[in-house]
Amino acid sequence: GEETALMASIEGERGMPRPRPPFPANKGLWAKPSNINNVETWANVSPIIINGGAWYASMGTEKSKGTKVFALTGKVKNTGLVEVPMGITIREIIFDLGGGIINDKAFKAAQIGGPSGGCLTEAHLDTPVDYESLTAAGAIMGSGGLVIMDEETCMVDVAKFFLEFTQRESCGKCVPCREGTKQMLLTLERITRGEGTMEDLDKLEELAVMVKESSLCGLGQTAPNPVLTTLRYFRHEYEAHIREKTCPAKACAALIQYIVNPDLCRKCGLCAKNCPVTCISGDRQTPYVIDQSKCIKCGTCLEVCPFKAIRKE
Amino acid sequence: MKEITLNFDGKECKGVLGDTILEVAQKNDVYIPTLCYLNGLSPIGACRMCVVEVERNPKLLTSCTTPAVDGMIVHTKTEKLNKYRKQILELLFAGRNHFCMYCSQSGDCELQRLAIEHGMDAVRYPYLYAPFENDATHPDLMMDHNRCVLCLRCIRVCAEKVGAHTLDLQKRGWAATVCADMGQKLGESETCVSCGACAQVCPTGTITVRELAYRGKRKDCDDVAESVCPLCSVGCKIKAYVRTGSIARVEGTGTESPDGGQLCHMGRWWLPESTERERVPVPMIREGAHFREASWEEAMTLIASKMKPAAEQGRAGALVSSLCTDEELSIFSAFFRDAMKVDIDTFDGDILRGFFKGFEPFKAQGVRPFTGAHNILDSDLIVNLCADPQDEAPVVASYIRVAVLRNNARLVFAGDIADPFDGLTDASVRLNGTCKDPNFLKDLTACLIALAESKVDLDGMTALDNYAKALDRFAATAGIARDKAEEIVKLIASSQKPVFVLGKSLAKNPAVIAAAGNLAIAARSFFSDGLGIVPLVSSGNSLGSVNTCVADEPWLRTKEVDFLYVYSTGMIPEDEDSLAAISRSGFSVIQTPYLVRPLVNLADVLLPAPAWFERSGHFCTIEGERRRLNVIVPPQASLKGLSTVFEGIAKDLGITVGRPETAPCEKFFVSSVSPELAKMAAL
Repeated sequence: GEETALMASIEGERGMPRPRPPFPANKGLWAKPSNINNVETWANVSPIIINGGAWYASMGTEKSKGTKVFALTGKVKNTGLVEVPMGITIREIIFDLGGGIINDKAFKAAQIGGPSGGCLTEAHLDTPVDYESLTAAGAIMGSGGLVIMDEETCMVDVAKFFLEFTQRESCGKCVPCREGTKQMLLTLERITRGEGTMEDLDKLEELAVMVKESSLCGLGQTAPNPVLTTLRYFRHEYEAHIREKTCPAKACAALIQYIVNPDLCRKCGLCAKNCPVTCISGDRQTPYVIDQSKCIKCGTCLEVCPFKAIRKE
Repeated sequence: MKEITLNFDGKECKGVLGDTILEVAQKNDVYIPTLCYLNGLSPIGACRMCVVEVERNPKLLTSCTTPAVDGMIVHTKTEKLNKYRKQILELLFAGRNHFCMYCSQSGDCELQRLAIEHGMDAVRYPYLYAPFENDATHPDLMMDHNRCVLCLRCIRVCAEKVGAHTLDLQKRGWAATVCADMGQKLGESETCVSCGACAQVCPTGTITVRELAYRGKRKDCDDVAESVCPLCSVGCKIKAYVRTGSIARVEGTGTESPDGGQLCHMGRWWLPESTERERVPVPMIREGAHFREASWEEAMTLIASKMKPAAEQGRAGALVSSLCTDEELSIFSAFFRDAMKVDIDTFDGDILRGFFKGFEPFKAQGVRPFTGAHNILDSDLIVNLCADPQDEAPVVASYIRVAVLRNNARLVFAGDIADPFDGLTDASVRLNGTCKDPNFLKDLTACLIALAESKVDLDGMTALDNYAKALDRFAATAGIARDKAEEIVKLIASSQKPVFVLGKSLAKNPAVIAAAGNLAIAARSFFSDGLGIVPLVSSGNSLGSVNTCVADEPWLRTKEVDFLYVYSTGMIPEDEDSLAAISRSGFSVIQTPYLVRPLVNLADVLLPAPAWFERSGHFCTIEGERRRLNVIVPPQASLKGLSTVFEGIAKDLGITVGRPETAPCEKFFVSSVSPELAKMAAL
């Protein structure tokens, strides 16, 4: 969270950040020198006092000591909170602790640091988890969110998802974040609907850089990170959405279709019975057909078909 | 003040430690674009237009908030900065509905000016056609949220200078809008005092003064004149914009001045209205029930012929307005009091007599018995005695609110009216008609003296006993419980710089005013310019009319007059008693700029006069300054100045008018003795 906004809220004011300097350590809560840290940081203090600094320093890397808690989630077999020593590689977290990708699909990317963070690709799997290495890769440690994505995750959709969050949480004080993230989100929405242009892509990147550099607080400064890192490592996905109007991961609803293969269809009607918008028609003699104009792309028909006659494209 | 040196784009610039980067830049004529920044309001760094690059710092810094450090090398106009600033402007134009074509502010808009400056000829982001509304619920102010850039200047000026804190933000992010009170429309607000400060600071056409919006933009106006508002004793400095002989709008000065550049609802709206009112065109003489036009010569001869016998028999009088300048009051004084030896008084003479008889014992010691009103902002305890500042001198109410809400001052109220700051007051005493009785103040003073003595007296028991008795007496007089009485005494005793605001109703009894002076001394209320008292005398130049035109004893209600000369500025309605006296007089000469009724109906001779905006001169204000009025709209050639009129009448009377024997209030403005040496008056 934003520390000065948090302090403003405690003081009974509207939770908006204040310009720094002065920094909270000099002038914070009620204008007094204040120390503000994440709960995880405070939780480390008593073990250090009890067990000693040397004990703590024996874990981790040269510049990042001790442990870090990650919220491991996404397409891994074991999800949950994990406490790991600094310096462990991402590969170890995902494939050892996490048990690997669900259904043994291919690993695509790991979003680290939540909506403020960046994504790391297969090339980064052996990156050690410490502050410097992550920053060099364009990501941040953040609060320790680690979302694992596979081949069926659309990276444009991921960027849009995280930007939806930061745009909603924007306090509205500074122009780059308030107006910039809104325009960025609208651009991403257009792209995922198949209405984007190559010019949009250039403007998106240019805007993201400006928002990152000129925003008042950490929210605006890091909100473009998902966009910038996905553009850096997965630009081809953006271009596919724009040029070919397709979603390579088959995730963006406007760009996919569920189609019944009439050769494989056994006319059992299970798909039609389970369709929430009853857009599948057919009978015991006729292969079932999905009405694309009504289909909401929920994927239920594909899941329930016992004959794997429905495909997504 | 330690001097520091910064480098702006290769130019060496000096400032002092404590300046922000922007302040150093502005001192050295280095231009950095700003939008949300306004000198005098707390900087918030919201618009991001003023960002600069500072060497050895990886981040872009907002120059309006970042403290300047000696040796900083600052770049203000790099390609990156220009690009970002342009993007910010484009985002603003795309985000809300900025249609310059329909906007009354077009040509006078800071957003537009910045866009032109940065060469923004296209907006590359799609327009969002936002669903914001136009709040037209307030009778005088319009707030069109479509034009808002969320610079938050209106919020800051209302909170930091007016103290009402009517405006703030609701919702968040892109949907955030400025709202009044608890998410209400401006017209529904209970805290808005309609001062128009928000409209004055708004950089775009979001908040506009409805009546003035299409009268003329600042740039359309022919002239801007600086003057002083005549309507109340504060005498706010004003900037009047003139367009083809009309006052198109009136603004305060800058937000960096002590009063924050604010005006009140009277100054903001009554002053521009005054160029449009019906004027007395030429001298008129009554014939029966009608007036006929006359020449100045005929009028002056008639006046002289009526005044002479009345004056000789001691049955003549003059009644003038305290909204007149020092110079005008001197002319009246020289003519009526010194040359003609005729009784003269002002409309608010009773109030002024009360105040100044009460202040006399302190003035006699050479102590200035009051402090400049803006010093309320430096006070840590304000004692409001029978005053309703929002009614009597609204900017004083702003000072009180700001002092209490932002500077942690305490507030005590005692009066026979409802507490005007109910909700802000720490201790409130409702007196039942005892505003005319000095005992409340006397007994409170006695408590303070007894408390102080009990702290130094070696014979502790007697002093404590005296204090206890004084408290009981005070509690009884005030009709309050003993512990509440003690609370009030302790509040005053523990304050460092208390200030006492005196409402004009206290002036009914000069003894009350003197008692207030004693109270200020006992409370050690000493400011650098005088005793810590802010007297809400009623008119713009009340302080100037003392010594010159205020009579020592009232005569208007009791004296039988055959001839009465009346001068009114026509800006404030005359009171009942004065109108009755004018009506009773045998022959009345009314000199006034406007056809104000019923005043002009009582005239036997009606003379035109320059309006307040047509004259220059000086006012002695309760801000502790003698302020200069300037001509805003020059008078018509046919209008005669006051001295010409009286010279004409004097010639017909065969007398010469010398210099006035008494000068306006300068005596009150000068402390020859420090207030700390003031001695209490005998009551």
